[in-house]
Amino acid sequence: MASETLAYGALMPPSPRGVRAAVGKVLRLGVLASAALLVAGYLVGLISDPGAFTSHALEQAHLRARASFPHSFRAVFDGICHGSGEAIIAAGVLLLIMTPVAGLLTAAIAFARRRDRLFGVIAASVLAIILGSFVLGSLTS
Amino acid sequence: MIASVTIVELSLVLFAVAIVAGMLGSLLGLGGGFVIVPVLTLVFHLDIRLAIGTSIVAVAATSSAGAARNVSQSITNLRVATFLALATTIGAVSGALLSGVFDARFLFGLFGIVLAISGLQMLRHSRRTFSRAPSKVAPAAGSEGRLVRRLALDSAYYDQAERTEVPYVVANTGLGLGLMYLAGGISGLLGIGSGVLKVPAMDLAMHIPMKVSSATSNLLIGLTAAASAVVYFSRGDIDPLIAGPVALGVLLGATQGARLLAGIRADRLRVLFVTALIVVATQMLWKAIG
Repeated sequence: MASETLAYGALMPPSPRGVRAAVGKVLRLGVLASAALLVAGYLVGLISDPGAFTSHALEQAHLRARASFPHSFRAVFDGICHGSGEAIIAAGVLLLIMTPVAGLLTAAIAFARRRDRLFGVIAASVLAIILGSFVLGSLTS
Repeated sequence: MIASVTIVELSLVLFAVAIVAGMLGSLLGLGGGFVIVPVLTLVFHLDIRLAIGTSIVAVAATSSAGAARNVSQSITNLRVATFLALATTIGAVSGALLSGVFDARFLFGLFGIVLAISGLQMLRHSRRTFSRAPSKVAPAAGSEGRLVRRLALDSAYYDQAERTEVPYVVANTGLGLGLMYLAGGISGLLGIGSGVLKVPAMDLAMHIPMKVSSATSNLLIGLTAAASAVVYFSRGDIDPLIAGPVALGVLLGATQGARLLAGIRADRLRVLFVTALIVVATQMLWKAIG
């Protein structure tokens, strides 16, 4: 296969197994980091604002359904600066959403390093589509 | 009774439900939304928007935790995932842009019927053991062009349950790409992971072994979900206090589910999948009628 022979020309090209290992590692890291943020946010919230956690959830959820919890990158960042548990949980959720994308980015880089041009281009295109939808998403809402 | 539940109590219940959803989801290559959404809306009477937002987070969690293990264990076909992600993400964007054009009830009905048909197909195929001799299915000679050969999608995985290396040849690449575009479109239109469509597309149309289909779908749904999750987040549909415990539970369950995937027999996996498919199809048809 053309891609296989080309791969040997690269500077320490990762093998297919190396690509998988790298992607697996990034996914694992993302999962562990977001799990840590979720737990930390919950603990911070319980300690700093126990009232919010022991109140009646559903009435609150309905009331809050639109705006009171952080739902922009800026609000999450500001919330973390103010030590809000809710904002830390939101950051963990966002990190979790980004984790598969980070895995794809790792694959794109690894394919490119293997001189697997076709798959480098395919992975980069998928990334571009997802990033495009991020921009579209934050603009339209 | 429900109104007197506190956030802490709600969190614990959601955490437990999410463990089950994550386990089933990562085992089958689904997002687990088919467990999460009914519980949130029917049991807790939560706003459907918040339920769907939470379900998107569950999809991301199932995908990341499941794929972390399956990719390293080489069950996931990374090349197939990357290639098909092209179609699912474009489909998801088109679906999101088209939402509002179609009547949601019509879509739910259509989706339910498609699922019921693929469920029956998979049940019929379950008597043949795809997992033992997937490579016997020869790709239509001559129909695969140079580009398809350059993609080098064929691979092999080690089946722990059968203790053999299972090689497989990927067939009908074009058809698979088309089906993935449709699955992505459904995701964008209805805000679901649509792993229920992705797994049969790979398993039935592309002749990819069931386990590899599940694991590869697992990674794919995360990428498709990411494309729409930011919209849900900015819209304020993702409540951290509800999504947080769900995410944690799903992470835990999905890690376990991925562990189970390696050891489960392919035919049992198929029966389990068809069961989940029937559940989802019923939910969809119910929405179409009700």
